[in-house]
Amino acid sequence: MDALELCYLSAGELSRLIKTQDVSPVEIIDAHLARIGETDTTLNSFITLLPEQARAAARRAESEIQSGNYRGPLHGIPVGLKDLFNTGGVRTTSGSRIFDNFVPDQDCTVATRFQQAGAILLGKLNMHPFAYGPTGENADYGHMHNPWNPELITGGSSGGSGSATAAGQCTITMGSDTGGSVRIPAALCGIVGLKPTYGLVSRHGLTPLSWCLDHPGPMVRTVEDAALAMNAIAGHDPNDVASIREAIPDYTTALTGDVRRLKIGVPREFFEAPLDPEVAAAVQQAISQLEHLGAIVTEVSFPLFQHAQAISGTILMAEASAYHRDLLAKDGDKLYPPVRIRLEAGLFITAIDYLKAQQARSVFNHETRQILTDVDLLLSPTEPVTAPPILAEKVQAGEQTIGTTAALTQYTRPYNITGGPAISVPCGFSESGMPIGLQLAGKPFDELTVLRAAHAYEQATNWHTRRPPI
Amino acid sequence: MPGDNPISRNAFLYLAAQAGLDANSPHLDELFPYVQSVLSSIRSLDDIDVGISEPDMAFKPSPEDK
Repeated sequence: MDALELCYLSAGELSRLIKTQDVSPVEIIDAHLARIGETDTTLNSFITLLPEQARAAARRAESEIQSGNYRGPLHGIPVGLKDLFNTGGVRTTSGSRIFDNFVPDQDCTVATRFQQAGAILLGKLNMHPFAYGPTGENADYGHMHNPWNPELITGGSSGGSGSATAAGQCTITMGSDTGGSVRIPAALCGIVGLKPTYGLVSRHGLTPLSWCLDHPGPMVRTVEDAALAMNAIAGHDPNDVASIREAIPDYTTALTGDVRRLKIGVPREFFEAPLDPEVAAAVQQAISQLEHLGAIVTEVSFPLFQHAQAISGTILMAEASAYHRDLLAKDGDKLYPPVRIRLEAGLFITAIDYLKAQQARSVFNHETRQILTDVDLLLSPTEPVTAPPILAEKVQAGEQTIGTTAALTQYTRPYNITGGPAISVPCGFSESGMPIGLQLAGKPFDELTVLRAAHAYEQATNWHTRRPPI
Repeated sequence: MPGDNPISRNAFLYLAAQAGLDANSPHLDELFPYVQSVLSSIRSLDDIDVGISEPDMAFKPSPEDK
């Protein structure tokens, strides 16, 4: 098989070929390393590439499979981790030169679980420094570039994960999502990004941004791959105090294609916010498609949506500044200036502001639960705009010009507050050829319904089959 | 606090020093308007009727989530 084709097969497709030994993990890893070699001078997805380690792992996987020891659907699959997931013996920078030489002793739980599943780590992925920004800009290791147009942002903070997955450099990547950092780059790069329920995927061994808002999640090209990744990484971890003891289903059982009588709510207030008409039109078409598939779509009201930025922003800034306070004192002048100023500003948030935001969070979550008693899912755009230029401070969303950070987190932050699952799936392209994402959010622990609807929509459309021009 | 400014320059400088920032750094001239902007934006929390709600310090599944 052509090497480029291998790079664009999903984990599901690759696993079927690996299992029957029609393709070897060695071929797959070589193809991906070649793809990275061809594209990463443009994209800058990787901070650390692990070619020799990956080739050695591929040879071991090939040998195990030939010996009849096939571990499952991720055996031999190339993965990449955002560079805030600790990897034992491999430097983990959190996207900052301050940690250029930090080499953890141990893997994070997610890395361990991928390794146990037989996945092969290709490298550590570029990111907005300390995950504190939604654009994928990084002065230390270079900005990330969107595979659909390298002059535009990937979105962030898991920007390298977005570009690597979209460009066929990795089959599965991991990001972390505190205000949208999995779903934002997924939408802007034209891939699938799942923020699972808080506590379902371990945060152990990840550099925190906000303890109570951080959600690790998979970034992939198909909904099936999101399910396969979740099968490997979800589940209780005694090393994470927030980890929840829940029975973990087989997430692939959600992939039925059947959304008949599924109730989907469309919050009216989301469409009253600044929104690019091209994005709005693509999402309206997606709504029509889901109705055609048998879903029942109704308008709902989500009045507290207008306060999501204030609630999430207050909590996030206070927690980020608390976590990074020593770093700020010691190395503040070495931080990426936009990150430094956010961390410093967080020092001025009072305990009363923080607790007021957490009180407001209770009210916000109560309202969301009430809405989700009437519908199974909430639907919206993931992003109000397509990818803006790198370093753009403002974006045009419909008739309004607004700050880039506020725009990019507008629709994603509500579900970091609630802790419930939310996914972004491709739902179209702008006239200029940039991807548009559809967000579906569900009840806590109801990943199965989120995946079911996303998969049914994906299979009824061909957006996920398009490839960037790089 | 008077007017639309959520924090005065003097209060900002005092709190900056308390937080360990160098009160003589020219960087504070850039930080001051940013802090004002942040504190203004979170004022909207006062518009939410939180009643007697206790702070939701982290996501916890409610019985109906099960």
